[in-house]
Amino acid sequence: MNKNKVYYFVKNNQIGMALLLSLLIFVVTIALNPKSLNVNAFGSILSLMSMLTIAAAGQTLVIIADGIDMSVGATMSMAAIVTVGILRGREDPMLFVIAILAAIGVGAIIGLCNGLGAVKAGLPPMVVTLYISNVVNRLQYVMTGGTPEFTSVSLIYKSFMTERLFQVFPVISFFALGMYALIFWLMNRTRYGQQIFLIGNNNRAAQLTGIRTTRLKVINYMMAGILSGIAGFIGAGNSGYIKCGAFDGMTIDTIVAVVIGGTLLAGGKGSYAGTAAGALLLIVLSNGLAVLSVSPSMKNLIMGVILIILLGVYNRAKPVRA
Amino acid sequence: MLEMRNISKNFEAVQALNHAHLKVEKGEIMALLGSNGSGKSTLVKVLSGLVNPTGGEIYIDGEAVQIKSSADARKHGIAVAYQDFSLIPKMSVIDNIMLTLSPCKKNGQIDEKKSREMAEYYLNELQIDVSPDAPVELLMPSTQSMIEIAKALAMKPRILILDEATASLHADEVEIVFSVLKKLKAEGTSIIIVTHRMSEIFRICDGCTILKSGETVAEGNVNQLDLDEIVFHMTGKYPDKEIGKQETKEKNHHLQLLLDVKDMAMPPKLKNVNFQAYQGEIVGIGGLDGQGQSEFIRVILGDHNYTAGKMIYQGKEIRYKQAADAVSDEIGFISGDRGRESIFPLRSVAENLFAGNTARGKLFAYLSPKEIDSFAKSAMQKYGVVAGGLRHPANSLSGGNQQKLVVGRWIALSPKLLLLDDPTKGVDINSRREIHRILRECTERGMSIIYVSSDNEELLEIADRIYIFYEGQISALLAGDDRREEKLVAAMLGIHQKQEEKGKQDDESKN
Repeated sequence: MNKNKVYYFVKNNQIGMALLLSLLIFVVTIALNPKSLNVNAFGSILSLMSMLTIAAAGQTLVIIADGIDMSVGATMSMAAIVTVGILRGREDPMLFVIAILAAIGVGAIIGLCNGLGAVKAGLPPMVVTLYISNVVNRLQYVMTGGTPEFTSVSLIYKSFMTERLFQVFPVISFFALGMYALIFWLMNRTRYGQQIFLIGNNNRAAQLTGIRTTRLKVINYMMAGILSGIAGFIGAGNSGYIKCGAFDGMTIDTIVAVVIGGTLLAGGKGSYAGTAAGALLLIVLSNGLAVLSVSPSMKNLIMGVILIILLGVYNRAKPVRA
Repeated sequence: MLEMRNISKNFEAVQALNHAHLKVEKGEIMALLGSNGSGKSTLVKVLSGLVNPTGGEIYIDGEAVQIKSSADARKHGIAVAYQDFSLIPKMSVIDNIMLTLSPCKKNGQIDEKKSREMAEYYLNELQIDVSPDAPVELLMPSTQSMIEIAKALAMKPRILILDEATASLHADEVEIVFSVLKKLKAEGTSIIIVTHRMSEIFRICDGCTILKSGETVAEGNVNQLDLDEIVFHMTGKYPDKEIGKQETKEKNHHLQLLLDVKDMAMPPKLKNVNFQAYQGEIVGIGGLDGQGQSEFIRVILGDHNYTAGKMIYQGKEIRYKQAADAVSDEIGFISGDRGRESIFPLRSVAENLFAGNTARGKLFAYLSPKEIDSFAKSAMQKYGVVAGGLRHPANSLSGGNQQKLVVGRWIALSPKLLLLDDPTKGVDINSRREIHRILRECTERGMSIIYVSSDNEELLEIADRIYIFYEGQISALLAGDDRREEKLVAAMLGIHQKQEEKGKQDDESKN
C-alpha cells in the first residue's frame, strides 16, 4: 500500500518530485562541500533560477499548445543586444521605455515568423523555429559587425537587477514572481489559456468545437516571442556582458525546465509552476556539479543523462482510450 | 478448400464474432453478407491474420492451420483487398503492387526490370490505365481501389478476399474485375466477396453466407435466395413489420425551415444534394459506410468546402470557412469518433463540458475556474450527463460516459442546430437510450437535430424524417409511414435510385 503511494507520487507529482530532488541534490552538494552552504550561494541559485524561469515562460505556453520554440535563446540575445544598443550606457528613464518596447517588438516579430512557419505553413515547429533562430543569430553579427559597440547596460540598471535584498533575494526574483503572476493568469484565468490547453490535447477536436486553432497558435507563438523579448531585456540588466548570441544556450535549458516540470512534450498538460520547479532542479544540479568542480564536459554529460531518464519516466504520451 | 468453424472474438465487452462459420470450396465465389457491425470485417481480419480469434478453428484443405499474422496468411495463400486501402500513399503504383513481392537479383538488389514487367502484367489484366510510376495518392479513389485489387492478385493467392473492395468502383471497372474473377475461378481460386451491392452478388457469386451479430445465420446457394430473404436474414426482421410505428407529428409544414441545402456538390464525395431541416425536428441520415454522409455533415459545419450549390440557414445564404464560423452561428457538432474528433482526454470533465463555451467569447477576458465548474455541474445535474468527479481527466471515464460528456457539452449551450455524426458508435445500450432521451427533450425546446447513423434501428427510432445517402447522392427520403426497415435497406443498397415521394405506395415492400 505504502509502496503504491510512493509510486503514485513519483509517477504523477512531477512538481513535488522536482522540488524533492532539488533538495536532495542540494543536501548532497553541501555534504560533499560544506563551504557551499552560504547566503551568497542561495542568492546566486535564486538569481539563475529566476532568469531561467522568466526565459521559459514562452516555451511553456508553446509546448502546452503542442509546439516547440527553438528560438527562445536567439530572441533573448537579439532583444538584449537591442536593449544595450538603445541604452548605450545612459540612464534616461524614457530610454528604458523605448528599450523595453523595442525588445517586445523584436520578440513579436520573431514570434510571428515562428507562428506563420510552424502553423500557417504547417512546417514542423522544431525545424522552422530552429532555422529562424539561426537567422536571428546571424542577424546579430551582421548588425553589430560581430562585436557590439556597447556590451553592458549602465551600472545603475545592472546593480538594480542584481541587488540582493536581505543579501539573499535578488531583484530579478521579483521579476520572476511578476512573470509567474502574469502567466498563471493567462493560463488559468482566461479563455486563451483554456483554448491552448484544449488545442494541445486534441487539435482536431478543438477545431471542430469551434476554436480558431490556426489563429490562436500563431498568437501563441507571438506571445512566446514577446515573453522571450522581455526575458532578453531583463537578461541584459542581469548579465554583465552582452555579446552576439549571449543567451543562445538558454533554448535547451528552457525545454529541459519545462519538461522536468511535468509539461507533456505532446501538449495539453502542464503548468508554469512546474517549469519553475524544473528550473530550480536544473540550476541546483548545475550548481552542485560546479561546486564539486566537475569538468564542463562531464557536467554536460551528467545533465544529458538525467534529462533522458526524466523524459523516460514522465514524458511518454499516454494512449488515448478509444 | 477453406473452412472456418466456431470462430469467436471478443473486443472487451463487445462480442464481434460468436461461433461464426464459413465454408468455401475450391473455385467457388462466396458472398459474405451482413449489416454494419455484424462481424464481416472481423471474420475477414481473422483470415488475414490481423485479428486473433478467441476461439474456433480454421481448416485449409482439411488441415487445421493457425493464422497469427499476415505473414502466416500469405504463407497459406490468402490475399485480401481492403476497402480502406492498404496502399502506401507516397509510393508509386509499381512499388505498391510489388511491395514485398519484388524479384531479387543474385546480389540482393531488387530486379527493377522484372518487377516492372510483373506489375504491368497485373495493370493490363485489370485494364488500369495509369503511369506505373505515379504515386498512388494522386490517383482517383476508384483507381486506387483497382490497384488494391491488383496488389492482392499479384500475390497469386489460393484464397482471394475482396473486403468491400468494389465499393468505390465504377460500373465498367466492376465488369473488368468480375471477368478477372471468373478467370481465377476457372483456375481454381476460391474467392470471398464482402459487398453491400446486392446486384453484384446475384451476378457473380455461387454461394452466400450471412452474418448477423457475429453469428452465421444463413448459408446457401445464391440461386435459392431472393433479395427479400437476404434482407430478412441480415436484419432479422420480417419485412412487413413496422418499426417506425410511433406517430410522427405532421409538423413539418407548419414549422420554420431552418436549413435548406440546394444542389450541393463536392466532388468526388457529394453530388447534387438537396436537403432540408426544419425547426424542432430530428432529421436522420442513413446509408452504408462512406457514401458521403460524414462529408455532408462536415460541409454544413464549414469543415469541408463545397464547390457547387448553396446553403441557406435561418433565411440567409451562408458559406462558412471553418467550424468556428458555424459555431458562432449557433451550430453544434458531435462526432462519434471520440478519440480523434471530440474528447480532450487529459483535460478534466469540467473543462470538457465547458469546451463549447471556451470556444466563444473574448480571449483575454477573466474566466474563473468557478465559472467552469458551476457550468459543468449544472450541465451534469440537468441532463444526468456524467458519472465521475469534475476534476478527473476525461480519459478516466468509460466510452459511454465520454460520449455523454461530448453530448452534454453542446446540449448545455442549446445551439439552434446540432449535427451528430454517428454519436452512439461503440456506446452501450443504456448510454445510448440516455443520449436519445436528452436529444428528444432538446427538440421540444425548438432545437433542430441532424443525426447521421450507421445503425438502422436507431435511425427509425429517433428520426422524424430520414435521408438515405448512396454514392454521394440522396437515394431516398423516408417520412411518416415510409420509415420502415426494408425500405431503408433497399435505399441504402441503391435499389431505388430515384427519390421516393413521401407517402407514395411501394409495391415491392408489400410482400
